[in-house]
Amino acid sequence: MNSVLILSIILNGLVLGLVYSAVALGFSLVLGLSGVINFCHGVMFAFGAYFFWLLKDIIGFWPAVVVVPLLVAIIGFVIERVLIRRVYGLDPLFGLLITLGFSIALEELIRMIFGPAAHNVSAPSFASGCIIWGDFVYSKYRLFIAVFAAVMVGGTWLLISKTKFGAIVKAGMFDSEMVGALGHNLPKLRTTVFILGTALAGLSGILAAPIWSIKSGMGSAVLMPSFLIVLMGGLGSIPGTIVGGLLVGLSSALATLVFPRFVDIIPYVLLGVIIYFWPRGLFGEQNIND
Amino acid sequence: MNNKLIKDPYLWIFLIFLLYPVLPYIGNFTSLGTELLLWFIFTLSFNLCLGYTGLPSFGHGAFYGVGSYGAAIAFLHLFNKGGFLIPVVIGALTGAVFAAVLGYVIRNKKGVYFALLTVVFTQVLFGICWRWDAVTGGESGLMGISRTTFLGLDIHDPITFYYLVFVVFAVCAIVIRIIANSSFGMSLKAIRQNPVRAQYLGYTTGNYKFVVYLISGLFAGLAGGLYCFLTQSAFADILDWTKSGDVVIATLLGGGTVSFYGPIVGSVIFLLMKELISSFWDHWALLYGLSFVIIILAFPTGLLGMFKSK
Repeated sequence: MNSVLILSIILNGLVLGLVYSAVALGFSLVLGLSGVINFCHGVMFAFGAYFFWLLKDIIGFWPAVVVVPLLVAIIGFVIERVLIRRVYGLDPLFGLLITLGFSIALEELIRMIFGPAAHNVSAPSFASGCIIWGDFVYSKYRLFIAVFAAVMVGGTWLLISKTKFGAIVKAGMFDSEMVGALGHNLPKLRTTVFILGTALAGLSGILAAPIWSIKSGMGSAVLMPSFLIVLMGGLGSIPGTIVGGLLVGLSSALATLVFPRFVDIIPYVLLGVIIYFWPRGLFGEQNIND
Repeated sequence: MNNKLIKDPYLWIFLIFLLYPVLPYIGNFTSLGTELLLWFIFTLSFNLCLGYTGLPSFGHGAFYGVGSYGAAIAFLHLFNKGGFLIPVVIGALTGAVFAAVLGYVIRNKKGVYFALLTVVFTQVLFGICWRWDAVTGGESGLMGISRTTFLGLDIHDPITFYYLVFVVFAVCAIVIRIIANSSFGMSLKAIRQNPVRAQYLGYTTGNYKFVVYLISGLFAGLAGGLYCFLTQSAFADILDWTKSGDVVIATLLGGGTVSFYGPIVGSVIFLLMKELISSFWDHWALLYGLSFVIIILAFPTGLLGMFKSK
């Protein structure tokens, strides 16, 4: 086993982990504030990738980065208003089932419109090609993703930890009734956070589109890592999402070296260990879901 | 007394399914009928968790699935491809063992954590069954399970097998009702209605949740074990999370939270509907997904709940 290979596997794990963190971010915020296990989150990720695939050649990469999350956020807004709003405060199974059902329907809709075949989209020209450093060759676009995802996660972290809006969201995760009693419009806050979450999912869909093939099932594929990350890091915690994402990405990348057949299982084993010692996850705090 | 017996929905359910194979048209689909009976066992036992104890469990498809694998593996390796009773018993025990493991881990978890952990556990088992070629056959599943004879009956014949499953269902249904109406079942209801008060009254709620999980895993495994003899194969896709969703939605649709018979009503409607839509439209998943939404929004307490005034 040479060191160049190991280095590229670790880098792949880090990039994957950052993408997972970016996806899980919105999922975690919605779960932390509203207590809804949102299965539609994966489809929003897929919508991001599909919209990017449709629009990239027409309007270019950077405009698409702005437009696509907005489009996805509009879909998210409608879903929240029409469906998810009705299950707030009910047993978690209701939110889970309603979003699961709707995501199955949306996935089928994607398959009806765009066909079952996978599509590919190329990386933008400024990040195409590879970086060559001695024996070490690495895709520029993957490095770009890592930076972009880090900026996304960092930006959201600043928003939640440094602004007044973030303070209200955090308070809402701790005691939503009290936040309502203090005169903040809780339903509006939940809608805003849901829109933010879907926009983040759409944006991560853009990032992942050039490295994964675009197909209707791509949403379900990122859903399970999001569940793992949220349980590992703690509900609604942004540092937890970062650490959880990196743990999932790195552990599955390193597992390819040791147990290639069971790559999918390793992160779950890790989760078992974490849950045993930290029942609320590594950064979990007391939450409305307790 | 006679009057009470006639009013008992059980009698009617038993009668309808006793006559199922001779019913016009639908009676020709014997394997569908057998699957319905297995779903009754499965959803009735699941309802002990959902309707009685209020556990938001989203991983029961896994116990059905491992039950199916347990029976298939026992059949293929234990008696040199023979036997029926012991593989099915092993299937049931497999379901119970896995349910016990999960139940022990999450017995004191609540709400969202409970639901998420059951989803994740199901996915682990799915991953194992999907990947572990040597034992579970991996992606190609386990084939070559055959029904031979049981107690001198030729269970290869679909109708004989149907009646065998019918007898199993009848016994399971009665046992589950006895459990539900026992003092244990009443304690479960108390835990659902007010877990904190139940704890103050001295109930160790975690232990009750663990036991009810184990019991429902046992029945789910039994249904799964019989299912592998019905389809004569075992595949990983019955551990998929949409299957776990089907169980919950079928139970809710019928009104599992308000009535003991809810799961049976829900299973009939949901499975027949699914079978019907998927047979005439390629994009049936669209309607299937939307049906979840409609069921949750329109019948939050289920169909039977609509007739009960609160």
